Amino acid sequence: MPIDGVAGIGATGIERIAGIGTGGQGAAPGAKAAAESFGRLLDQALEGLNRIQVEADASSARLAAGEPVDLHDVMLAVEEADLSLRLALQMRNKLMEAYQEINRIQV
Amino acid sequence: MSFRTGFRISGSALTAERVRMDVIANNIANVNTTRTPQGGPYRRQQVVFAPQTAVPMFQISSSGGRLDTGRGVRVLAIVENNAPGLTAYEPDHPDADANGYVTYPNVDVNTELVDMLAARRAYEANVVVINAAKAMAMQALEIGRV
Repeated sequence: MPIDGVAGIGATGIERIAGIGTGGQGAAPGAKAAAESFGRLLDQALEGLNRIQVEADASSARLAAGEPVDLHDVMLAVEEADLSLRLALQMRNKLMEAYQEINRIQV
Repeated sequence: MSFRTGFRISGSALTAERVRMDVIANNIANVNTTRTPQGGPYRRQQVVFAPQTAVPMFQISSSGGRLDTGRGVRVLAIVENNAPGLTAYEPDHPDADANGYVTYPNVDVNTELVDMLAARRAYEANVVVINAAKAMAMQALEIGRV
């Protein structure tokens, strides 16, 4: 389920970022791996989010085209898309906060 | 389990109530139909609802009860009511029997209108449930926000 995927980021993503400091040996490869996983997580989350948005879009397009789609099904799809977008935004805010916090660490 | 489950449950109820509304509309539309392909007048139709079978999750709580919720409602069948219809003496009517009586459908418009109100209110109630579920999800997103 895409939502669960988005929700999963909060825990694992921050752990990974936090792991940079404790990595110890070879700061450069550790940072690189973290950057990769960070990007991948963001990618996965956005893909899941996009799928829901596309679903909502497709159902409203079907309604507009005059196909026998239930009005409430379209509204529910749009609401789901709205909520998952908000959830993704919150996750983005959390991730950026954590990232900036770590960026501010002075060595 | 996510907030989409709640949406789907209420969504299934909305679909069911809309089908019920369609059946009521069809009953009212055919209130004067005296000829059908099966012969005889139109017969009043009614919807039969059944709970949607829950997917077994194999979740047992510590007290031994089930933890999986239902999955909403579905329309099991649309059945015809076999009550006798009203008859009226209209010898000139093409569907009149040998004695000049025409059998009209067993649809009572008043009953249908009451059913229609019930369907409307049930639909409304499910929309309220959806809005409550959405409000809860929005509240959850407020966690940690300063």
